[in-house]
Amino acid sequence: MATEPGVSDPGLLLLISLASGPKHGHAMLLDIAQFAGVRLGPGTLYGALSRLEERGHVEAMPAEGRRRPYRLTGSGRGELKGRLGGLSRAVRTGLQRVAT
Amino acid sequence: MTRLLLRCYPPAWRARYGAELADLISELPMTPAIALDVATSGLRQRRHAAALAINGGLLMTIGPAWRHPTAFAVIGAVLLLPTFAFVGASLLAYELGVDSVRGVIEPVASAMARWRFVDLLLVAAPPLAFLAALAPLVRMGVERRDGGMEAVIAVRARLLNVVVGATALLLAGLLIWHIVVESVLQAGA
Repeated sequence: MATEPGVSDPGLLLLISLASGPKHGHAMLLDIAQFAGVRLGPGTLYGALSRLEERGHVEAMPAEGRRRPYRLTGSGRGELKGRLGGLSRAVRTGLQRVAT
Repeated sequence: MTRLLLRCYPPAWRARYGAELADLISELPMTPAIALDVATSGLRQRRHAAALAINGGLLMTIGPAWRHPTAFAVIGAVLLLPTFAFVGASLLAYELGVDSVRGVIEPVASAMARWRFVDLLLVAAPPLAFLAALAPLVRMGVERRDGGMEAVIAVRARLLNVVVGATALLLAGLLIWHIVVESVLQAGA
């Protein structure tokens, strides 16, 4: 699927999306397209989701009809903070270097 | 088409996420890009599952580890049989006063007094039978998980093995009780 320059790691995008509250697959796709301008494919989304669930970063909630929402766990929130912290340091360094 | 695409995924993954992914696909227009995304993601999951089978999961098991539980239970029962017969007959003869059984058990008891190793075998049989019956219900092993090693112990219940194990325990208890009572009586005399 097409991606735009910027953050394109599906796992990170999913963690960011779920940080605002539980969502099911389609809602995650729409949210990610809105805040990152990235259109993830359904296979990519569920691939990343299954890896995050395997690592305990997200958990499934009871199904709502045919849809099953997922939410961030404490471990997922920690993982997101760590990864955003690393990105933020890289962005700051990059900005400083292009400014000089 | 969706069903065909889902066949790209490993069965275990499909059982867990297949229905949700199919539902999501049904909400999107089926374009070649989406079909390719689902197919390649499925193949990646298959590669991941294969890598786990090679590099992850169980590395080593210790003991029978769930293998041939019926055979082990039968071995335990066979080991237990002489002790079971002797203890049962002794209970009938001496505790319940069944004279016909007493007539059978007394020559055996006097023979055992001459050959102490028979006595020893009867006492050793219950613990051996207990181990034989219950060992295949326990799986001890070392697994690779998240890049590290983990020792794991898993136990499963199986009626035949549990019955043989519990009978062995009961017989061992009866024998110990008998030995203790005999020792106390002898010390008293």
